[in-house]
Amino acid sequence: MVVAILALLGFLVSLYMLAYALGLVGQVICGVGNCEAVQNSPYSRIGPLPVATLGVAGYLALMVVSFLGLQPGFQGSRAVPFALLGGGALGVVFSAYLTYLEAFVIHAWCQWCVSSAVIMVLAFVASLPELRRIGDSK
Amino acid sequence: MSDGQAGGNLKGFYMVFGAVALIGLGALGFNVASKAMGTAAMEPVDLEEVREDLRLLRDLAVPVVKGDPDAPVTIIVFGDYLCNHCAAFSLRERPRLEAEYVESGKARLVFYDFVLDTRPETGTFLAARAARCAGDQGRFWEFHDRLYRSQITWGMDSDKLGTFQEYGEALGLDSREFNGCLKSDRYAQEVSANWELAQALGLGGTPAVLVGAEGGMSRNLPDYYFETIQQAVDEVLGGSGTN
Repeated sequence: MVVAILALLGFLVSLYMLAYALGLVGQVICGVGNCEAVQNSPYSRIGPLPVATLGVAGYLALMVVSFLGLQPGFQGSRAVPFALLGGGALGVVFSAYLTYLEAFVIHAWCQWCVSSAVIMVLAFVASLPELRRIGDSK
Repeated sequence: MSDGQAGGNLKGFYMVFGAVALIGLGALGFNVASKAMGTAAMEPVDLEEVREDLRLLRDLAVPVVKGDPDAPVTIIVFGDYLCNHCAAFSLRERPRLEAEYVESGKARLVFYDFVLDTRPETGTFLAARAARCAGDQGRFWEFHDRLYRSQITWGMDSDKLGTFQEYGEALGLDSREFNGCLKSDRYAQEVSANWELAQALGLGGTPAVLVGAEGGMSRNLPDYYFETIQQAVDEVLGGSGTN
């Protein structure tokens, strides 16, 4: 349940960043750091795709998987904990890479990107008890 | 955990999840709708209808004028609020021009906005509108100079609207009136037309300074320094016999 809530928060943050990247919102709300410098840097896109798209897709996937884990039919499944831990680990690695870019390449911080990274780490930590579920279902 | 407890927990979870989703999506929707409704015009409006008609465009491209309207010489300046040479012109050269020619009635100064980077995030279009909003309360030039003095500060700021509101307060403007103007599309058409006019005239950069006799053709000067403008103004004044 905690992972689902965290995934929802991450999804909303990424959706906001995506809306900004697509020009759907005006100025980005940024109390701390320089979000526009980060969002307008060349690292904010992978080809034509805003990086936030990956965040939206990733958090959405995490949300769906964590919802599936709550359904009685998936209680004994090993696929759900594997997906949560695998997805979480991937998300943490990718967030670490983005945070590295902010700190050492762009030299600017975006509060929303940092929030997303923190949410991803928390979601991964909250998924760790799922390891036990994998062990139990052996 | 009994089935009843699990069901109760799930119900609570769904309620929290739904509330967070509703609040988050609502806030995002509001943000998108605000932009769509154009609460604060941040970029040029499309003036396709007048673009091809220079006379119409000139009428729409209302400049800000300082000095005697009947002065024999007109000094026209096209400026952008994030251009540092424009800041140098406005803060260093313009006071000398005003003291020498505008206050004596020999020339009038005509300022047009030439927003070089029209992306909303640069804030230059909003800055141009803000200065004109300050002009509604007779403080255009003070706000104009404030923008140039602080261009690095607001240029780097992410909340440009808030920063301009602070500048307005610092100048003693009526906040309600100024903020109302700022958060509307007032002057969006004028500033857009200024920009279109600059492009129609083929001006390549800012500040662009043109000098000419009242009602006559104006000459685009090679630079914005006082001495260059002085020479051009004196030539026109000499020609019109009013020096």
